[in-house]
Amino acid sequence: MEGQVGWTSVGGVLTNLLDGNPIAIAVAIVIAFGLPVLLHMIFFRAAASPPLRNFLLLGPSGGGKTALFSLLESKSSRIPKPEPLTHTSQTSTLTTVALPATVTAASNRYRSVNDSSLLDISKNPVRYRVRDTPGHGKLRESQGLSQLREMTQSKEARERLRAVVFMVDAAALSEEEALRDTATYLHDVLFVLQKRALDKGKSAAKVAAEVPVLVAANKQDLFTALPAGSVREKLEAEIERVRKFRSKGLMDASAGSGETGGEDEILGNDEGQEKFTFKLLEDEVGSNAERGSGVRKWEEWIGMWL
Amino acid sequence: MLESFEILTASGIVLWSKSYAPVGAHIINSLINDVFIEEKVLPQGTAGTGVAPVYKKEKYTLKWKRVKEFNLIFVAVYQSLLHLGWIDKLIDNIATIFIDLYKEQLKSTRSRAIEYPFDKYFDQQVQELEDNTGASASADRILGDQEAKKDPFASSDNGGPPPPSVPGLVKAQRQAAQTVVTSDEGTPPQTPEISRSSTPSSAHALPAKLGPGGRVSRRARKAANASANVSSGDEPVRKSNKTPKSGKKMRKWGDDGMADEDDGEILDYSVHDEGADMSAPAVEAVAQDTWGRRTGKGQFVLKDLGDEVHSILENADNEKSKAGASAGVVGSSFNAIGGLFRNIVGGKVLTESDLEKPLKAMEDHLMKKNVAREAAIRLCEGVQRELIGKKTGNFQSVDAALRNAMESSLRKILTPTSSLDLLREIDSVTSPSSKQQAARPYVISIVGVNGVGKSTNLSKICYFLLQNNYRVLIAACDTFRSGAVEQLRVHARNLKELSSRENVGEVELYEKGYGKDAANVAKDAVEYGAANKFDVVLIDTAGRRHNDQRLMSSLEKFAKFAQPDKIFMVGEALVGTDSVMQARNFNQAFGTGRNLDGFIISKCDTVGDMVGTLVSMVHATGIPIVFLGVGQHYGDLRGLSVPWAVGLLMK
Repeated sequence: MEGQVGWTSVGGVLTNLLDGNPIAIAVAIVIAFGLPVLLHMIFFRAAASPPLRNFLLLGPSGGGKTALFSLLESKSSRIPKPEPLTHTSQTSTLTTVALPATVTAASNRYRSVNDSSLLDISKNPVRYRVRDTPGHGKLRESQGLSQLREMTQSKEARERLRAVVFMVDAAALSEEEALRDTATYLHDVLFVLQKRALDKGKSAAKVAAEVPVLVAANKQDLFTALPAGSVREKLEAEIERVRKFRSKGLMDASAGSGETGGEDEILGNDEGQEKFTFKLLEDEVGSNAERGSGVRKWEEWIGMWL
Repeated sequence: MLESFEILTASGIVLWSKSYAPVGAHIINSLINDVFIEEKVLPQGTAGTGVAPVYKKEKYTLKWKRVKEFNLIFVAVYQSLLHLGWIDKLIDNIATIFIDLYKEQLKSTRSRAIEYPFDKYFDQQVQELEDNTGASASADRILGDQEAKKDPFASSDNGGPPPPSVPGLVKAQRQAAQTVVTSDEGTPPQTPEISRSSTPSSAHALPAKLGPGGRVSRRARKAANASANVSSGDEPVRKSNKTPKSGKKMRKWGDDGMADEDDGEILDYSVHDEGADMSAPAVEAVAQDTWGRRTGKGQFVLKDLGDEVHSILENADNEKSKAGASAGVVGSSFNAIGGLFRNIVGGKVLTESDLEKPLKAMEDHLMKKNVAREAAIRLCEGVQRELIGKKTGNFQSVDAALRNAMESSLRKILTPTSSLDLLREIDSVTSPSSKQQAARPYVISIVGVNGVGKSTNLSKICYFLLQNNYRVLIAACDTFRSGAVEQLRVHARNLKELSSRENVGEVELYEKGYGKDAANVAKDAVEYGAANKFDVVLIDTAGRRHNDQRLMSSLEKFAKFAQPDKIFMVGEALVGTDSVMQARNFNQAFGTGRNLDGFIISKCDTVGDMVGTLVSMVHATGIPIVFLGVGQHYGDLRGLSVPWAVGLLMK
């Protein structure tokens, strides 16, 4: 009788709650035990799995993108397997690979050597995602560059691009044709990145800060391979030429419709007066590797952006 | 002999491979480049007939099969000198077995990092198929088998890498050697103990001949008929095919009887099987299974493998026939409802009948856009090939899937393999970076059918070059049509006027009047250009009908005399079906080793969105489009924008 009356009025409720009422006790218990669990579920899960960083492998056909891709993949699998042979790719592939424990990721840079959390890394390595793209001239635009554009403009954190690895066949660069092809592709890649930076209202010089590009001079074990410095020089000179003639070339047929603005953009700085160097974009070139063992330097570079 | 066999994914990773002789990676790379990406070479034979398409590179012949569901490509490489009739069957069987065995692994995300222990299955298949075709190998093979029986260890010692296939070798011998070797290679992975596995290795060939005898012999006969290198008549082949087999079987049976003497059923079964050629495959499988079990586990290792392989193949066959049979009234209506539902929801596996109607509509659409009929049909066929067996995405209708595929196909066709930067090429010729090359003028010649706008486009290019400060020489090599030289003279005068007003470049006309041989005039013009330090020589030629052999043949001489760096063909956007033949004939007119370097499609402003000629011409030859003419003025020259063209075509 008294209880029924008590639940209707405010004062009654309070009285009941302090009264040792079984319902009140049950509610208190549920809140006391349930709330921490609930809070944990809400807040902890979001923070527990940060999105994996994405890396994009670009470069002309025959540069060794798929070879590097499968090497990284087989290295990070639990059962070691000799890296498979590769052929020309037709589609792009995505995989998750692990950074070897010996390479420190940038996020662990300031940890002490004795930090116990570093010990876990060998068991639970830093993971990142690599996307391999076909380098054939016909598939570049549809799968390489469009992928790059998509990933740089993506709003979602898990889709966003962290860095680009541009694979170059250092042994083929001494040939005019291969050099031209490589430089054109690299120019296009850098151009996409610059355009994005400019769209965001940043200066061209900040391109590298947004999405760093590593030009990886592959196939250093071959006799005709050029050293990193030479690769850099050749590419710079060739991109300079591409840049020069792009600015002079004809317009596309689509430009006739007048929807694209007249502002002619040139890779590098706005004036286009200086000679092109990677410095203009604060880019990084170099770091070479031999087949099999030598990808460590590249992995260290990747680790810098993890 | 088979040189190598590879199973690779579309992303270019080799999942499993076996090579009997070193084959350069570039062989398969060029298959991928030419057939899959650039579609330069059209595969002969279609997927429906069960004959694998063929591609020839250097001294090798490649046959392949694509499995779209898993994005796998199965490629067999063998010497072109040999005619191996069983390759088709091998590829088919291997594809079925591989997918059946590793279905789960292939679907997982780590499919590329897993190892596929497929060697034994492959060896079993190769050996079986080879045995069936190796009709003339009788004596040698028996000898080889007997040797293996006598001393299995010795034979396994011999079983190093198989001998490289020398064409001069007698085929029979090679096959005999191969049989022994492959079998020995196949055994060890199955059981760790060599002594155990090598003992039955002599008898392992049993199921190959014994079990599916009916199927095998049929297959063998087909293969024997197909293989052209069996020069003797059909009849003796068949005879010799049978005699050694029966002789061997006798021997085998003796061997087998020792293994389990009291097993009367088997003998019964085998005799029956040998007699009844057409017995149902399913029954055989069951009989084999029981037999295998009775002999004890792990003892007849390879036989079990054969059983496994055969049951896989039979299951696949059964499913296929079931799928064919279930097309009854109830089945079909149920399928139709399901299909309609799937059409809306997506996730439907596309079949030929699904695509028939939309493809027809797509073909009509393309032809309305002025794509030549031939090109439209081939495009649709290509898309069909690509789509059959594929699953549509979530909430994606068949039409949408087809549209996407067509768009990407068009994009792939129109995108050049290497983009042409004309200015840079001119620059590298006129001011070469290395000292060895002497500077010379860059020669561009323009060809085409009458009245398509050769001279107009030549002057447009000239204007474009003048804007870039080049010294240009125009050579009037149309020495045939009256007024042609005067027309160019007017253009040259206008351009000279324009360039002097804007203070860019220089232009001059080189003319030698009418009636002279065009090739000689062109040669003289190039020499004149070199002597007077011109950067570019633009050569105008007479228009000619592409199917007039007499007129076209003079082009070969022209190409030889003038040695142009680039030969561009001007094609009208207005032309319809004829564009394919025009492009093809002009492409072939310059003799061997010299092709067109690009197309200029003129009068693009007159056709609106009917830009199908672009596709027709590129599709017929694989040569990229360099320029588009989009108006009447000198400045109305544009580069090709692929998204723009694809957008217009798909509108």
